[in-house]
Amino acid sequence: MLTPYSGLLRVLPLLLLALTATVSSEHTSNWAVLVSTSRFWFNYRHLANVLSLYRTVKRLGIPDSQIILMLPDDMACNPRNAFPGTVYSNADRAVDLYGDNIEVDYRGYEVTVENFIRLLTDRLDEDVPRSKRLGSDAGSNVLVYMTGHGGDQFLKFQDSEEIGAWDLADAFGQMWEKKRYHELLFMIDTCQANTMYTHFYSPNIIATGSSELDQSSYSHHADNDVGVAVIDRWTYYVLEFLETQVTSANSKLTLGDLFDSYDESKIHSQPGVRWDLFPGGEQEGRLRTVADFFGNVQNVEVENVNATEPGSLQEDLIEIARLVNKWRARDQAYLARQNESLVSKDASAHEESSPHYTVRTKVGPAKMSEESTWQKRLVGVSVLGACAAVWLTGSILGGTSA
Amino acid sequence: MGVDHRKAAVFGGALALRLLLSVLFPSLPDLLTGRVEVSTPVTSFKRLQEGLFLYMRNVSPYDGGVFHQAPLLLPLFSLLPNAQSHPLPTALFYSMIDLVNANALVTISDSGQAVSGRFYSALRKHIRWDGVSIAAWFLFNPFTIATCLGRSTGVFTTTGILYAFSSAVTGNSLNAMLSLGLASYLSIYPALLFIPLVLLCYDQRVQKTKVSSGTLPFALQHFAVFLTCILGLLSISTLLIGDFYTFISATYGFHLLVPDLTPNVGLWWYFFIEIFDSFREFFLGVFWLHLAAYMGGLTVRLRRQPLFVLTSLLGIFAIFKPYPSISDASLYFALLPLYRHLFPLMRYTFFAISALLYATLLGPAFYHLWIYAGSGNANFFYAITLVWSLGLSILLADTIFAALRDEWEHDNPELRGKEVRQV
Amino acid sequence: MTAKNDPQTSPQTVSDHTMTTTTPTPRLPPPEKPEAIRTRFKVIAAFWAVIIFLGFPIWWKTTSIYRASLPVPDMIDWADGKTCRPVFPLEIRVETPSLPDADAQNLLRSTQHTLDDLNEFSAHHLRLKLSNEDPDQPPAADAADTALTVRLLPQDDLASPRVALHHDTTQLDVFYPPSQIPPPSASNSPLSTFIADELQLLFAEEKAIIAQVLSDNNIPGAPTSPDLAESVTRRLRRSMKYADTYHLAFSLFTPGASPSSWDIQAAVHDYITPVLDAFSPISNFTVDTQVQLYATSSPTAPPPEYDETHSAWTLKKDDLSAFINAAEWPLSPSIGPGPTINFILYIPSPSQSPLVVKDSLATSWIIPQWGGVFLLNPPNHPTHLTKETLGPAFMTFSHQLLTLLGAPSTPPPLPLRLQTLTRVRAASLLLSASSTMGSLARLTESLPQIPIPATVATSVSTTLSHLSSACDHLRHGQFQAALASARVAEAEAERSFFEKSMVGQMYFPDEHKVAVYLPLLGPVGVPLIVGLLKEVKKVVSAWKERRR
Repeated sequence: MLTPYSGLLRVLPLLLLALTATVSSEHTSNWAVLVSTSRFWFNYRHLANVLSLYRTVKRLGIPDSQIILMLPDDMACNPRNAFPGTVYSNADRAVDLYGDNIEVDYRGYEVTVENFIRLLTDRLDEDVPRSKRLGSDAGSNVLVYMTGHGGDQFLKFQDSEEIGAWDLADAFGQMWEKKRYHELLFMIDTCQANTMYTHFYSPNIIATGSSELDQSSYSHHADNDVGVAVIDRWTYYVLEFLETQVTSANSKLTLGDLFDSYDESKIHSQPGVRWDLFPGGEQEGRLRTVADFFGNVQNVEVENVNATEPGSLQEDLIEIARLVNKWRARDQAYLARQNESLVSKDASAHEESSPHYTVRTKVGPAKMSEESTWQKRLVGVSVLGACAAVWLTGSILGGTSA
Repeated sequence: MGVDHRKAAVFGGALALRLLLSVLFPSLPDLLTGRVEVSTPVTSFKRLQEGLFLYMRNVSPYDGGVFHQAPLLLPLFSLLPNAQSHPLPTALFYSMIDLVNANALVTISDSGQAVSGRFYSALRKHIRWDGVSIAAWFLFNPFTIATCLGRSTGVFTTTGILYAFSSAVTGNSLNAMLSLGLASYLSIYPALLFIPLVLLCYDQRVQKTKVSSGTLPFALQHFAVFLTCILGLLSISTLLIGDFYTFISATYGFHLLVPDLTPNVGLWWYFFIEIFDSFREFFLGVFWLHLAAYMGGLTVRLRRQPLFVLTSLLGIFAIFKPYPSISDASLYFALLPLYRHLFPLMRYTFFAISALLYATLLGPAFYHLWIYAGSGNANFFYAITLVWSLGLSILLADTIFAALRDEWEHDNPELRGKEVRQV
Repeated sequence: MTAKNDPQTSPQTVSDHTMTTTTPTPRLPPPEKPEAIRTRFKVIAAFWAVIIFLGFPIWWKTTSIYRASLPVPDMIDWADGKTCRPVFPLEIRVETPSLPDADAQNLLRSTQHTLDDLNEFSAHHLRLKLSNEDPDQPPAADAADTALTVRLLPQDDLASPRVALHHDTTQLDVFYPPSQIPPPSASNSPLSTFIADELQLLFAEEKAIIAQVLSDNNIPGAPTSPDLAESVTRRLRRSMKYADTYHLAFSLFTPGASPSSWDIQAAVHDYITPVLDAFSPISNFTVDTQVQLYATSSPTAPPPEYDETHSAWTLKKDDLSAFINAAEWPLSPSIGPGPTINFILYIPSPSQSPLVVKDSLATSWIIPQWGGVFLLNPPNHPTHLTKETLGPAFMTFSHQLLTLLGAPSTPPPLPLRLQTLTRVRAASLLLSASSTMGSLARLTESLPQIPIPATVATSVSTTLSHLSSACDHLRHGQFQAALASARVAEAEAERSFFEKSMVGQMYFPDEHKVAVYLPLLGPVGVPLIVGLLKEVKKVVSAWKERRR
């Protein structure tokens, strides 16, 4: 009696596991939000951290339009930079992180707590261009990387304000409510970084930070020619893993491998990982590949000319050709009618024959007419006269009554 | 006749000095126009030029969000030739306005209202300057000259206020209300002077006619005149601009909500740059209330000297209003010598004057360091504006203290001049 | 008589101190006169009047968070699907020009019966209707849209019935041998089974898509075959997220100097506009074009290889994702309000022409949720591309557009596919707006410090009213109207959720507030409060004196 049941019981979790794995691991796009929160020259390393991550996600295929890069300062053009126009994250200065292809979406004083929260929740003005928006949806895996100076449950922005762990948790909560991510990987490199993700409550988040409560996060090494530290330890070792092991977007290395590569003796602080928000917890989260968050979905669908299944190119082309022909016939009929009725306006008939072009209307500027001096002067004189008359009347009336 | 000669000399000298400065240094007016100490967003001549340009071409002058001054200035300035190509007529016009203001000061001084009113007569009334000296003090004050050359439209508000006072002290309460109406129309805050001004008018009326009717009917009657004047000006403005809400929000909305935080000599800009956005509205309310709150207290406390209340309020405005400039300070300084008899009672004059001079000299330097040289930051200039405000506050507190002291000695003649003890 | 300890003390404190403090010298100052006391009382009262009557209202007004009241239970009900269960009754008109009325009725009844038996998905069902019931009657205002017209035509030389779809209308011709007309008594007949099967097949994909959309929103759908489900999800994943306005960007990229011009206006007008026009009830479009010369591929992209057998240059399928040089080609996503769909026409350089994809020899591919690419290999390497040369490319772009916008693959005629898309969009917009309502409701409940401006309340009520009208329209089978309402509902729901002013300072603990209030209000407040307390003390002691 017992044997078949136990067999079933043994199989069932596996089945469920397989089911959830196939359903939930699918995402349709990748987004990355990379934020440095500190400015000034001595915080060079924070910008270098972010730029290094930027290069990595770009290398792994996330296009610029899906990377939101927030840099509060411009180290490349800092007058103290001995190597103008460049930013390096290593003393060997092999890779110029600034390079030619860098698209900074929020720069300088645009990097504020408010803008960051607005970006995450998309509560932006209608006029804000799409390059400054996080256009993720229910199928997007989002990588959020932050670095700067932080403390217990806060991260300083620009030396003037700070984001609290509560604000960040609420922002992610709102993102989840509005289905703005499928899975989210939160990484933070700052002092007491692990306190920043303690308040998260929305599901499907894996969070990792560089140091525990009351622990500082240290810089890795300084470049004596640049004159300041160029990268932080935790970020350095994360990057080392990404650059040496994850060579392409097809890499099968998992987040588990990445987090196992943390070496506290090298990092000099205790990095933390938070799994409990992820469905399936640590066991399931470890199976996510690094490329799920750092790479882009790589599926291009080649359209075979010879395929004949429904909805294929060939089938559609026939339908479209029919539609085009019908349209052309209609157009000609329309044109003919136009010609009949408006022989004289022949030239304009062609433009009118395409009534389906919507012409974008722009708000026109106010028309500025010629300077009408005399009229205005007349107005001026009469206003002045009226005021003077009132004043005189006041003088006479006030004088007599007094 | 001798006085008239003196007056003519002073007025002529002032006019000549102004014209000479603008002829000898043709770039000086434009330089002063651009200075934040002289021109505020609500009085700047440059902004007026922009508004005028649009107005002359039948475009709403408030389009573009540069111009925030009262619309009636536009037809007035359309009468003058272009200040860019012909600067002299404008300079002459502003100089004349200064002379007109000085004339009002002479009237106020000659009425003697500053030293003896209906209820009160100062003890040291023999220590006083005559009208011409006060006019000279006003006309040759560098702050006044800078304001005149910088062509700040604040001078029209000054004219309104001074004529309100001069009409009040000469007993023409109707004109006092009309002038105050004009001043309030140009830049709201003079409306706060209404109550002490009505009291001044009332005292004059009672003094002259010896009939004391009720204060309240008198005040209401004059409030009606005041309101009618403002409404009249507003309706003419509406006729000129066409859209009521546009110009109300661009002018009075701008005054009240302080959206432009260009540095000036006041205390608001730095505070509102730094404050959390969510508290901005609350502190706007607090700052305006702070400005308005003095009116009641001072009026009650110094009921016997309404003109002194008015003078002190002008001093308070010069410190605490949203867009102050040196023209506000120069108005306060113009009225101060009316109280020459209080000077012996003042104790911190040296300190106040030192602070003011210090701020005057270092202010432009620090502004340069911050904006142009890039070797300073906003705190440099803000510190100087703090010193400036501190100097003005000391001066203000000192004069009020002296006035109270004067009243106290007046009430306690037996203790006159005895205890000058401090604790 | 009084000490001025602090030169910064504001004037009103001076005036207070002047009268209130007394010198502790042996020689006492003269007693204060009663009118002086009264004056002092008035001064303090004047300041406090301003604080109480103006200060406190302003404080209350400016620091309280405005939260418009939202119909939270209604919103939650919508999100949970309690208010509306989307149904899709498709009306199919049956024309039977050659049948007597009674026979037609009978056939109809039996076909409907078979259809109902076949259908496993209750939300989506087909309703047959005889069109010649009342031909002269104008359709009622709440009449359903006709999804399909079935014409039954007898044909003598047929062994079994056959169907033919019209390509430019929504009409299905059924040819049947006259012998198969069922007898009036029969409840089932081969003809009716045949028609029912055909209809069921015609709408199979639509059903699968709708089932998928509903199940994505946790509404149980119908079981569909795994194959169909898989192809449906694949198609859904390829398509763009719904937007009210799409921006189409047609770009001509060439690595050399030619071709430098193209007949783009004519090409768009001829090949793209028909499709856009067909889509106009569903979305709006703006079109933008550009020509980019010397557009080289990125240095990391693998170069094409020459394939001897086909005498063509080939790109590996795996390398196609790196074909677009996103870093250097100006494919800016920041034009206009809507998402951009990019169409790239790439003319290879003469030295690498013709360029095709390896193995399949295809010249075009779709990049899901982004756009499409077409490799055009014109003969003779012209400097100007005529409309005719562009024809195949732009027809392909039209097809890619269909795919990217989520049009189903079957049935083949475009009108039918667009109708299906109308229904699918109406359903998905209805569900997404409902779920946004739920999100907004939960958000406002979980973040009590977030302000809710009145515009949000208006948007919410607009959304809810349009949602219910969309739901009604769906129930009555008026899918165009349902889509129109759902579009408004979606737009308003998005507007309300993404209201700009709903950010503010979300986390602001009370100790921060002390830091905001105290430095400024403290120095001003202390003398005022001290003055008030002294006055109160005096009044109390005077009162006690009098009682004694």
